[in-house]
Amino acid sequence: MTESHSQIDLTVSDVTVAYSNGHVALHDASFSLKPGTICALVGINGSGKSTLFKAIMGFVRPVRGSVRIAGQPVKTAHKKNWVAYVPQSEDVDWSFPVSVWDVVLMGRYGYMNFLRMPSAHDKQRATESLERVKMSEFKDRQIGELSGGQKKRVFLARALAQEGRIILLDEPFTGVDVKTEGTIIELLRELRDDGHIILVSTHNLGTVPEFCDQVVIINQTVLAWGATETTFTEENLSLAFGGALRHLRLDHTDVPGSNRNEILVLTDDEGALVVRPNGSKQAPVGKSSEKL
Amino acid sequence: MDYLLTPFHYDYMVKAILVSGLIGGVCACLSCFVTLKGWSLMGDALSHAIVPGVSIAYLVGLPFALGAFVSGIVAAVCMGFIKSRTRIREDAVIGIVFTTFFAAGVLMISVFPSNINLKSIVFGNILGIADADIVQMVVISTVTLLVVCLKWKDLLLHSFDPNQARAIGLNVGVLQVTLLTLLAATSVAALQAVGACLVVAMLVTPGATAYLLTDRFSKMMFIATGMGVGTSVVGAYASYFLNGSTGGCIVVLQTSIFLLTLLLAPRHGLIASRLAARASVARFRQRAASRHPAIPEAVRS
Amino acid sequence: MRLLEPFQYGFMIEAMLMAALIGTVCAVLSCYLVLKGWSLMGDAVSHAVLPGIVLAYIFGAPLAVGAFCSGLVCASATGWIKSHSRVKEDTVMGIVFTGLFATGLVMFSKVHTDVHLNHILFGSLLGIERSDQIQATVTGTLALGIMLGRRKDLLLYCFDPSHAKAVGLNTTLLHYLLLGVLSATIVAALQAVGIILTVAMLITPGCIGYLLTDRFGRMTMIAVASAIFSSLVGTYISYFINAATGSCIVLVQAMIFLIALIAAPKHGLWVNRKKRRATETGQSEVVTPAG
Repeated sequence: MTESHSQIDLTVSDVTVAYSNGHVALHDASFSLKPGTICALVGINGSGKSTLFKAIMGFVRPVRGSVRIAGQPVKTAHKKNWVAYVPQSEDVDWSFPVSVWDVVLMGRYGYMNFLRMPSAHDKQRATESLERVKMSEFKDRQIGELSGGQKKRVFLARALAQEGRIILLDEPFTGVDVKTEGTIIELLRELRDDGHIILVSTHNLGTVPEFCDQVVIINQTVLAWGATETTFTEENLSLAFGGALRHLRLDHTDVPGSNRNEILVLTDDEGALVVRPNGSKQAPVGKSSEKL
Repeated sequence: MDYLLTPFHYDYMVKAILVSGLIGGVCACLSCFVTLKGWSLMGDALSHAIVPGVSIAYLVGLPFALGAFVSGIVAAVCMGFIKSRTRIREDAVIGIVFTTFFAAGVLMISVFPSNINLKSIVFGNILGIADADIVQMVVISTVTLLVVCLKWKDLLLHSFDPNQARAIGLNVGVLQVTLLTLLAATSVAALQAVGACLVVAMLVTPGATAYLLTDRFSKMMFIATGMGVGTSVVGAYASYFLNGSTGGCIVVLQTSIFLLTLLLAPRHGLIASRLAARASVARFRQRAASRHPAIPEAVRS
Repeated sequence: MRLLEPFQYGFMIEAMLMAALIGTVCAVLSCYLVLKGWSLMGDAVSHAVLPGIVLAYIFGAPLAVGAFCSGLVCASATGWIKSHSRVKEDTVMGIVFTGLFATGLVMFSKVHTDVHLNHILFGSLLGIERSDQIQATVTGTLALGIMLGRRKDLLLYCFDPSHAKAVGLNTTLLHYLLLGVLSATIVAALQAVGIILTVAMLITPGCIGYLLTDRFGRMTMIAVASAIFSSLVGTYISYFINAATGSCIVLVQAMIFLIALIAAPKHGLWVNRKKRRATETGQSEVVTPAG
């Protein structure tokens, strides 16, 4: 590992993206992330989350502003394999004739020679990545033959094999069973401790306080960003979701007017955020592996 | 001025212009459904898949249009069958079926030489069209227009959201078959006007052009039909002076109008979009400068 | 031995070899096209080469170069219009290639050439000129070389363009490389075997491979094998029934596809029917993976 790895940060400044049909998907979006963080990108569908990802991936060029990775433009970052992308399940062609091993090896293409012949080191990295996500026994299966959670783990292994320092995850918990969700979260925590930047796009509010230490709240622009405790608040969420959040106040006290035992539930039907009277936030019981 | 009126002195030109206009209009009307349903290349496939039907019809002594029509329907059925039973994508299925049918047709023509002029199948023969064929085309056109006028709302719903159509009790199978049949029949008629390779243009370009000009389906049908009739008539007329392929002239005109529309359309054209994008960005910046933090309009409500 | 007659003629052997070579190149390309969803791009580009050919003839340039440029223009224009308007891809493809073809037709009818339309439709497999043979062979081999050399990058680009970008591949270059190979292959194939066979060769072998295996490497090999087999058998049969050679080849290939469709070990109709019956009678625990 070169020493520059500890300096690989992500800075998004005043990014404005307009599509060719005139629609402005994102405007003046700004935030920055230092190494060693798991950050949630929170917003409704159509809020510009995927546009932001596309800007970091270099698929759209901002009409204003810039995305810088360790001070370098996006293209340079890709050449150095600094950014890894774990796609949504819907975006993958599962009937493509490739095996699990093929997909994980694809993570190493940036390191291979012109003819893309994997070296022993490449194969070793790929094997290690598969072991880390506990998918070694499925090495030779075609990717369509796996369960939802297994499919997600294959692409995580690919990101690991690529040794990307910034890992973008697009809605990683949809269609995934609870056990795999736990495995993924644990893996992400390990990667964070290793100094990676993990950016998770999600609208599952419940899991956010559990494992994300920072959030970026987005609705056509960055409304707020920062540490979860201070940023992931009811006011900011209301801004982001407008009227699109269910706001349930459950009052289980005999004293009318007292809000001592009030529980606040915020949800867009995907994953509820429960705010207890003492201000602590988490997902409802039974959904996560953490004790309340 | 007199010179410009010369084509109308010739019977065959008048027939060609009128028939082209009729076919152009009918195809354009259907093209609204075709482009919406994503069947653009199906039109291309159908126009090639009719060839074995034509050669068999000649061998057996049946009307050429009947053979063509049956062949087209059989091809469509094969495509549907393969697509529903395998994991092969739709475009590949279309490709396999129509090339096989076309090859079979060409094989038969080469083995059993007949009166079939392959050239006129591929390139159309509107200038030399027989009266019997004209009658055929008028009948097909009238029936198509009638069905569309009566049933366009159901056909539209089926094209847009077949599940919803099923849910409200429409017979989805019948609608699918109806659309396919109309498409096959119109392809056969258009084939005689512009030839197999260009039928696709008549069945796609007018609809796409109208799509860029409006957001209402009923308006889209009117615009498309108008454009279809107009371009076919003018194209056939112009081909007299250019002394070039009639089908070619019609399609070149249609494509040119599409490109112009693409550029200049008031809301969906390239220039308009770019201006709209610039205006939006400027608006957002203004709002951000005047109010802090920036709250997008959508959230405030 | 009547059956060995065709092999006595030099032109027959040359025809078989030429068809097999072109078939191989097209078969490898068809694997990428089928997976990327570009099957009908081959059809479109094959028609779109016409104006290029006519223009090249007018300016005295090599016809193959004109055809190649024309094909690239079609593919690029389709992509550009699709990403800059709300019109869908298949519609754009139809408009662009017919527009180009019609332009070519109008020009063709004004210019007197000795390029017979029949040659474009059917190729001149049996009467191919030496110079055309060499040209087709060189172009075909070049296209094959490029595809084999960049096969992993091309496969990644077809499977996951986002990841390709993330590992630093130039996806724009790969995109135009694939289109360029397509145009070049079509030009070579048109000279040899004509449009009917070209379009079929760019789709069917890939589909046969896709039905029979789950591994890309094997898929390519099966595609090539079926292309070579159908080329040889088709040409051979055409001698005896005195029919258009290209059509015979296409029909043999279609028969192979039909057999694969029914009998494929994992994705064929027989197997699927057995699976369905088993679930219906509750005989087997068919667990379809979720997601």
